[in-house]
Amino acid sequence: MIETVLSVVVLGCLAYLLLTTVFYATLVVVGAFESTVRRHESRSDDFATLATSRFTIPVSVFVAAYNEERVIESTVRSLLALDYPEHEVIVVNDGSSDATIDVLRSAFELEPYEVFVRRVFATSEVRAVYRSRVHPNLVVVDKENGGKADSWNTALNVARFRYVCGVDADTCFDPQALLKGMRLVVQDPARIIGVTSHLTTSRDPEASFAAPPGRRRIDRNLFVAYQHLDFVRAFFNNRIAWSRLRFMLCSPGAFQIWRRDVLEEVGGYDSSFTCEDIEVTFRIHERFLREGRDYEILCLTDNVATTEAPSSLRNLVAQRERWQRVIDETVVHYRRMWFNPRYKTVGLLGAPFYLLSEVIAPAFELLALLSLGLAIALGLFEPWTLAVTVAAMAFTNATLTVCAVLYDDLQSRMYRTRDLVRVLLLAPLDLVLYRPIMLWARLKGSWRFLRGDKAWHKFERNVRAPA
Amino acid sequence: MLPHVARIPRSRDATGEVSDDHVRVDALVFRVGVVVLALSLSAWTLLSLVVLVGRVRYERRRPAPSSRKIRAREAERLVRRVSRRPRTEWGRWRRIAALTRLEQAHHPAVPRLIRSVLADPDPRIATSAIRTLGDIGDEWAIDLLIRALHKGIGPRSRVAAELERLAPAPGEKLLPLLRDWNPAVRFWGATLLGPYPDLGESTLIALTWDSDPNVRAAAVETLGSRSGDGVGAATLARLGDSEWFVRVHAARAAGQVLGAAAAPTIAQHLSEERWWVRTAAKDALRGLSTDAVPSLLAMLTHEDPFARNGAAEVLQDIGFVDFLALDDPSSPLLERIYAAGGERLRDATEQRIADLDEREVRVA
Repeated sequence: MIETVLSVVVLGCLAYLLLTTVFYATLVVVGAFESTVRRHESRSDDFATLATSRFTIPVSVFVAAYNEERVIESTVRSLLALDYPEHEVIVVNDGSSDATIDVLRSAFELEPYEVFVRRVFATSEVRAVYRSRVHPNLVVVDKENGGKADSWNTALNVARFRYVCGVDADTCFDPQALLKGMRLVVQDPARIIGVTSHLTTSRDPEASFAAPPGRRRIDRNLFVAYQHLDFVRAFFNNRIAWSRLRFMLCSPGAFQIWRRDVLEEVGGYDSSFTCEDIEVTFRIHERFLREGRDYEILCLTDNVATTEAPSSLRNLVAQRERWQRVIDETVVHYRRMWFNPRYKTVGLLGAPFYLLSEVIAPAFELLALLSLGLAIALGLFEPWTLAVTVAAMAFTNATLTVCAVLYDDLQSRMYRTRDLVRVLLLAPLDLVLYRPIMLWARLKGSWRFLRGDKAWHKFERNVRAPA
Repeated sequence: MLPHVARIPRSRDATGEVSDDHVRVDALVFRVGVVVLALSLSAWTLLSLVVLVGRVRYERRRPAPSSRKIRAREAERLVRRVSRRPRTEWGRWRRIAALTRLEQAHHPAVPRLIRSVLADPDPRIATSAIRTLGDIGDEWAIDLLIRALHKGIGPRSRVAAELERLAPAPGEKLLPLLRDWNPAVRFWGATLLGPYPDLGESTLIALTWDSDPNVRAAAVETLGSRSGDGVGAATLARLGDSEWFVRVHAARAAGQVLGAAAAPTIAQHLSEERWWVRTAAKDALRGLSTDAVPSLLAMLTHEDPFARNGAAEVLQDIGFVDFLALDDPSSPLLERIYAAGGERLRDATEQRIADLDEREVRVA
């Protein structure tokens, strides 16, 4: 009896694996097509004209900072250095208990001013508003602690421009990030309501930007190298394809451009979720599709920023555990969209894909591991069968990863050849070196979701080399 | 085998053999595994080679100069490629790349070819052709861009951006756009006349009464960079427009055209219903600096709290509050401003003053 049950479970897990692999492979093909189109489009675009034209739509860029004294100055400097005709930078200090506000005050020569802002969203109390004597387009809002969503809502109250760009405080930006993000919006602002673009990850984002394209390094730390691959895969194999299929369901918090009136219409960022980025994307899709409105949320292939990667196992698990929780919260919250034709590809492909590959995946993976182990122990499967199955999974996964690396390299030609060789060789080991950590983090996240835990568990910033 | 599971009775222990079903499952999984492994290993190896070979080839390739001559055979091939209407997306981009190459080489067939590319139903392809026209910048390119703007080929904002960077400037060629039946064309015509202060003034003034509010807004915005009584009167008249975004442009334009004379009227718009009109009025008054002070002081006792705190905010931003706080901290006027702006305005001022060198402020 137990053998029959185990056989069924193992076969079920393998069928699940096959199904998700087929889905991922399909996305890789769609992603390849979309990447090629976007690459050509980007190369034939006229960034020099966009950068100087008064018809390029102004953008309010905002960043929430909670205990970011180590990184905030470099992040704000990279935002102020953006090559864009007109943009303002709004930094919201979310009641930091460290010296974040003091760092900002001295670095940017801030002066307090009373600024009367719109109260579109209720937020925690604003203590003071500062303007910079040296950067007229910088506004710093010091407020009581209320979380990231609350801070971004505060920034929305202050924002003056029609498009807003929410970014993370631990991220460094390509000088052309906004131009790359807005180049398509400028062509069709009525339909394009949201944009994100390709991000990379590094232990020290500033240092990674110091090297010119083609000479940039991929972090030597194994965890960070695998996170780099994870990001490349997530963008080139998934989000680019989702964008093509019109179910771009996650604009990451590190770089998300929205039309401000859309955010106002859907009620801004929601503090009741663990994290706000994926939830707001789901909410906007839900609203626009329910009302039958024509819109697009895009993911582009241009690399716009490098975000800080946790370099220790503990921090990595804490981050991924939180990501898993917010995915669970969001996908379950918007369950009315699952398999619902009213929500078009979002309901028929996007939400079910999330359900299959993110929400229930940790349970399936755990079940597969346990049942395979037990099946070997009971002699139902030969150890060779397990070895071949694991190797097949590892190389299938590596093949998908190499596709993403290929698209990334075709797009950016950013990294050194020897670093590319290294990540290509690391790819097959992903299954045994990196995935178990991800599985642990995802199981932990799922467990915390079931317990209703909504804490942020912010990871400690890496120690960076002095500038 | 794990020691604790060795004790579990198994079919193999009882019969000496694993049942046929289980053997079949094991064999199936093994076979599928081997096939998938063989395929994936080959794919991984092949794709890795593609990545590396492609990269090495890219690095060895010389960077292409922005302008270069092409051989006749290559030009012929490129002309053929641009002339064909490709069916695939890939073919369309190859077509654009070929056109760019011919344009860089100043090939004589470009004017003819670009017309056919502009007719491509895909707006992205048309946009690329528009960019190429901006690079060319000759008289015929200007004509084609204006035609594109007229007919709505590609996004009009991109056509406008290209037109604005051209030398020779399109100038008078824009005037017919102001009289077009299509409001979108009139809008762009009015907007593009911004850098030409001597052109089309009377038509622009007439357009401030256009039936389309976007055209009215564009006309008022363009008039904001001009001067004269007629222009001033037209911008002031639009401060009473029924559409809020026209009033936004009118507030800014009136400040620029009429200066201090417009301050009392603009200050009244600090009590506007629409937030963005109030913001535009504040911007305009900030732009007038000390010329706006009398009008702003008059608003400090306005019945509308938005008007009061808006006036106090502008007085703070133009440095009037800091000046008063340094010159006479007990001034009743300063107290009136604090009363209008609230305690936080007082706190912010006091903190700024504490940080400032008094002499620096007096010089300013």
